[in-house]
Amino acid sequence: MESLVLNGLINGLIVGGVYALIGLSLTLLYGVLRIVNFAHGEFVIGGSFLAYVLFNSLGIPPLLALPVAAVSFFAAGWLAYYLLIPRLARSDDPEIMSFLMMYGMSIALAAVMLLMFEADSRSIDYAFKPISMKVGPIYVSTARIVAFGVTVVISAALAWFLYRTLPGKALRATIMNREAIQIVGVDVEKLSAFAFALATGIAGVTGVLIALVFPAFNAFSGAEYSIIGFIVVVLGGLGNPIGALIAGIIYGLAEQLATVFLPQALAQIVGFGILVGTILIRPTGILGWRAQR
Amino acid sequence: MSATKTTAAAIGVHGLHKRFGGLVALDGIELEARAAEVLGIIGVNGAGKTTLMNCICGIYRADRGSVSIGGRDMTGLTPHEIAHAGVGRTFQIPRVFRKMSLIDNLLVPVLDRNQTDRALIERAEAMLEQMRLIELRHNFAEELSGGQQKLLEMARMLMPEPKVVMLDEPFAGVHPTLCRFMIEQIEAIAAGGKTVLLISHDLTSIYRLSHRVAALNQGRVIAEGSVDEIRGNPAVVEAYLGA
Amino acid sequence: MSLKTNAAAPRASERESARRIYFTLAAIIGGVVSVYFVLVPVLKLNLAFHFYLMLWITMASAFNVASGFSGYMPFGYVAFYGVGAFTTAILVQKLHFPVLAALPFSGIAGVTLGLMFAPTLRLSGIYFAIVSLALAGICRLVITNLPEEVTGGSFGLHLGSRAEPVLSFYVMMCVMLLALGTILWLSRSRLGKALRAVRDDAEAADMMGVNVVRVRLYGWLIAAFFPALCGGVEAWYTNVVDTETAFNTLTTAKTVIYAVAGGLGTVTGPIVGAFTMVWLDELIWREFPRINMLILGIATVLLVLFLPRGLIGTLLRRRPQWRRYIP
Repeated sequence: MESLVLNGLINGLIVGGVYALIGLSLTLLYGVLRIVNFAHGEFVIGGSFLAYVLFNSLGIPPLLALPVAAVSFFAAGWLAYYLLIPRLARSDDPEIMSFLMMYGMSIALAAVMLLMFEADSRSIDYAFKPISMKVGPIYVSTARIVAFGVTVVISAALAWFLYRTLPGKALRATIMNREAIQIVGVDVEKLSAFAFALATGIAGVTGVLIALVFPAFNAFSGAEYSIIGFIVVVLGGLGNPIGALIAGIIYGLAEQLATVFLPQALAQIVGFGILVGTILIRPTGILGWRAQR
Repeated sequence: MSATKTTAAAIGVHGLHKRFGGLVALDGIELEARAAEVLGIIGVNGAGKTTLMNCICGIYRADRGSVSIGGRDMTGLTPHEIAHAGVGRTFQIPRVFRKMSLIDNLLVPVLDRNQTDRALIERAEAMLEQMRLIELRHNFAEELSGGQQKLLEMARMLMPEPKVVMLDEPFAGVHPTLCRFMIEQIEAIAAGGKTVLLISHDLTSIYRLSHRVAALNQGRVIAEGSVDEIRGNPAVVEAYLGA
Repeated sequence: MSLKTNAAAPRASERESARRIYFTLAAIIGGVVSVYFVLVPVLKLNLAFHFYLMLWITMASAFNVASGFSGYMPFGYVAFYGVGAFTTAILVQKLHFPVLAALPFSGIAGVTLGLMFAPTLRLSGIYFAIVSLALAGICRLVITNLPEEVTGGSFGLHLGSRAEPVLSFYVMMCVMLLALGTILWLSRSRLGKALRAVRDDAEAADMMGVNVVRVRLYGWLIAAFFPALCGGVEAWYTNVVDTETAFNTLTTAKTVIYAVAGGLGTVTGPIVGAFTMVWLDELIWREFPRINMLILGIATVLLVLFLPRGLIGTLLRRRPQWRRYIP
């Protein structure tokens, strides 16, 4: 039992790291652009499939797929921003219309992935050496440890970027008060495009990590990760990057420990329940901070 | 309309306190408006004028103190209950129902009246005529200019024939011609025997329209009296110049 | 005084003629549509296509009561549909109700679920949308995990030999006409005006004497009732219910997209939207069955970008004076 709990804790931390990254990119998008990206899960799974293709057709190992995913998704995000978002801002209720548009985007992307990869679950048969490592009394697969390492590095880099560099500070300022930052003379358009691209890039990288951490993925997995992303973002407070990181870890731990004690379906219901409960009782998230609206 | 003599004040505000976090917005307001009186409320930005109005019509719940309308205690009632007690208002920045026709905008406050739709619509059209908006009656409210929206709000406020009306900065951002028209309308409202609470930081119009004036500063009534008494009051001058 | 009556008299007659045009239009269009659908089984037209056309018209129109009239975006709308489907299926299969006696209970189940979700009505915008989505997820998971004797597990519930395509077609038609009648009434009623006022500015409506909580609840329950009925009738028509199809998020997606395509907030919008899109969907499905989903997704994106007010909404913005004839 004790080792089961310890197992749950360690895996919770690893899975939570992935969730934290999904939440972080999603919350960045909401904070800067007021877009709730329904298609975020599909972006993420797109990253997983990219890693899959790179490995199966070109033999590129997942670790090297990380930078490829980062760059290509960043570029795609930049392009998508200018194609979609400026026009969206002109509608009557941009926030809810963005939700609807991304809903359509998620259907379309899932359909594309379905056409390309069929409905079967895929996984990457890449084995690290050694295949697993001993952490305390239990064994954890090397792939998961590597993924966790990458998560920590990316989170740290992002935190440094957001809190220590000028563009990062500008991004956070935009989250707090979009009007004011325009008056100060920051090019919000460009900054928003950058935020969209950055969030998409992080999503792509997260997808590669998911291919390492989870046993399999398919064209329909995206919706699941979108929901998890929403839960994490709401828990952490919409538009709060640090909140998303913490909430991601907490949710990962809760989920993994719940699977130890509860049947799987019940664990899922608990996840949804947390989401509904948080919004109804404490809409500012666990840290009690919300972006100014 | 004959002004019935009542002992109770048309609006009575007693010991009203309201704070937002650490900010004390209202700090023990004592205020009474008599029936058929125009009571002007002046004060610099942040003096608590709009907060007072929001407390009277129930959108904010006061921390302490009471509000009564025509002698009836309103404390703790919901905004729609207070509206049914005969309180109407306008807003500093117009809050019209944007995607409804002007006629429908005017019907909203009288939806639960026991009158035929036809009678209500005719009344709404007469109101729009009075406010010079009749030609636009089928347009959506969002298609009006800012000044026209203020007139629409005033018509909407008058539709249910309230006993007490509260006007929040009716002249803010309104061009001079329209401003004159609005002053005439407010005079007509007052002449009709309604109690008017008129909020503005613009002293000229307030002094012209009000029977009595109360000056607010930092959530307190610092002076109250006739226009002449307020005009020369050193505390008011200091609140305005010293702020 | 005499001046006033002089000006008012032509307005009264103008109102009268507008009323006449409106009701004549409604009667003609309603009549033509009814006769057309009545004749579908008689003339042996494509029964399934027209059944689903009516189903989507009903779904999109009822969704419009929640979105266009009340300002909510229930992205978990399928919950009502699914619960309605299972109510009829369980009553018929396990408790041996006649189908027609079971269907009203689907409606009641929808309203009950609507009442259970009522506390979420104080949320708005994106928060409401996300919570609605999560609640639909919970509904699906709860029903999936009920004992197999009740819900039939992953095989679903089969209604057996009770299939009566033509009869269920006509019942679907009754449901559609009931829904459209209700919404037509709502759009002219005082409740409808109150709902729109609350949608535009709830706080201001409250200060104008509108009981916001009550009005919102009424609108919400109307929006919950019809999809549950649709679910029940569809269960009867296809003769089988399982959690995968009954709670399929695509049902919500299609409902939302069809309603938006026509124009939220108008009565005719969702009808026109559903009609156009179901027909397009059928065409695409016949020609390119593999990329059906892809096109649905892309169509949504394009709609939001280029026609956010929908077909009817855009038309009425160009011609505001038509608003009096086209509800």
